[in-house]
Amino acid sequence: MTLAIILVVAAALALIFILSITVSRSLQVSNTSLAERIQPLDVEAFRNLTDVAEDAYLRRRLRPADFRSVRRERLRAMAAYVQVAGRNATVLVRIGQSALAANDSETAAAAQQLVEQALLLRRNATFALLRIYLALAWPNSDSDARLILHRYEQLNGSAMLLGRLQNPAMPVRISVGL
Amino acid sequence: MLWHYLWVAPSVLLLVLGFGLWRLGVHRQHPLFLAFVLAGAVEQLTLYVLDIVPSVAPETWWRFFWAGLILEGILKFALLSEIFAHVFRPYVAIAKLGKHAIGAAGVLLIFASSLAAALTPVDGLFGIVSGAHILEQTIYIIECGILASIFGFSSYFRIGMPVAERGIALGLSISACVHLATWALAANNSLPNDSRVVLDFINMATFHLCVLMWIYYLLVPRRVSVKTAPIGLPENNLAVWNRELERLLQ
Repeated sequence: MTLAIILVVAAALALIFILSITVSRSLQVSNTSLAERIQPLDVEAFRNLTDVAEDAYLRRRLRPADFRSVRRERLRAMAAYVQVAGRNATVLVRIGQSALAANDSETAAAAQQLVEQALLLRRNATFALLRIYLALAWPNSDSDARLILHRYEQLNGSAMLLGRLQNPAMPVRISVGL
Repeated sequence: MLWHYLWVAPSVLLLVLGFGLWRLGVHRQHPLFLAFVLAGAVEQLTLYVLDIVPSVAPETWWRFFWAGLILEGILKFALLSEIFAHVFRPYVAIAKLGKHAIGAAGVLLIFASSLAAALTPVDGLFGIVSGAHILEQTIYIIECGILASIFGFSSYFRIGMPVAERGIALGLSISACVHLATWALAANNSLPNDSRVVLDFINMATFHLCVLMWIYYLLVPRRVSVKTAPIGLPENNLAVWNRELERLLQ
């Protein structure tokens, strides 16, 4: 009887989980409100947090107990940045997917590239978060989030390319700057 | 009367669905779904005929039930693999990770369902019946878990499921979750024998609903959006991104 109750509850939870995902996905959000969900990310500050040399410097200058405390603070900040990068990636996945069906092949290709890079960033952000949380428990370990930074830079480029292709009137200074 | 309708109507509708899939050419993208639909219809109609023919012994009926159950189980897992391929294969970045994640979930589910089967009481007198209940319970535990994993994984990465796959997966999920609950109650002798007919009604009504859902998702024509809305990356955010990137490049 206990087993039956466990299985009935598990089945009900699985059904609620699947239906909630289906319902939430069918409630379409416009691209405009999607884009508003993108949170700007201070790449320089993130770069500083992921700098191995900075960590090595702090390790040399601080007492071990102080270093662990400072390192934990830095890891928490790093986790917050990675979470934002991951969330932005999911928004860009949805924006890119909405552009996949575009008639213009160049736009569709740019959208596909954006989706792939955003998915890669989301995946790497997940793994980086796991490593950061592990490092929080053991602050002397290495938590290399530099890959996230690199992916984030690539994603910037893809998003801008797609935005430019879909809306050429929008001024995107990086195209001029580069 | 309702009993007969709920047993026969979904099978007839499955045949209509199969014919529709064939005519629309959908079977080329979903060959395993077509096989599942046709096999399910033939299985249920055969069981129905065997059930109403008085000369058929109960043991013979249960033997056919077992054969259908095994075939249906194999087709279901093949169909899940087809759904997975259609949803995740287009995305190179996560296709491999998804394969590993769903594979790991499958292994865990096999262990869990084996444990549940080991803990389920077996009726010595009617082993063929309780064995079928346990096998149903095992199949539905794995099916429910894999479907929840596919939905969860696609939701985590915000991947949009194509309409046909969404319809097939949703129908399978509703059917699997309800059947898991009812077969778990049946397999663990949680209800008196005269109340078990209620479980059959629930199962049949749910399956009927799922067949209608598949017809809606796969046969009803949909409006095709001619123009996609342009991406609205806000200028402010772009400016911030640009500024940060320019600083990074210096």
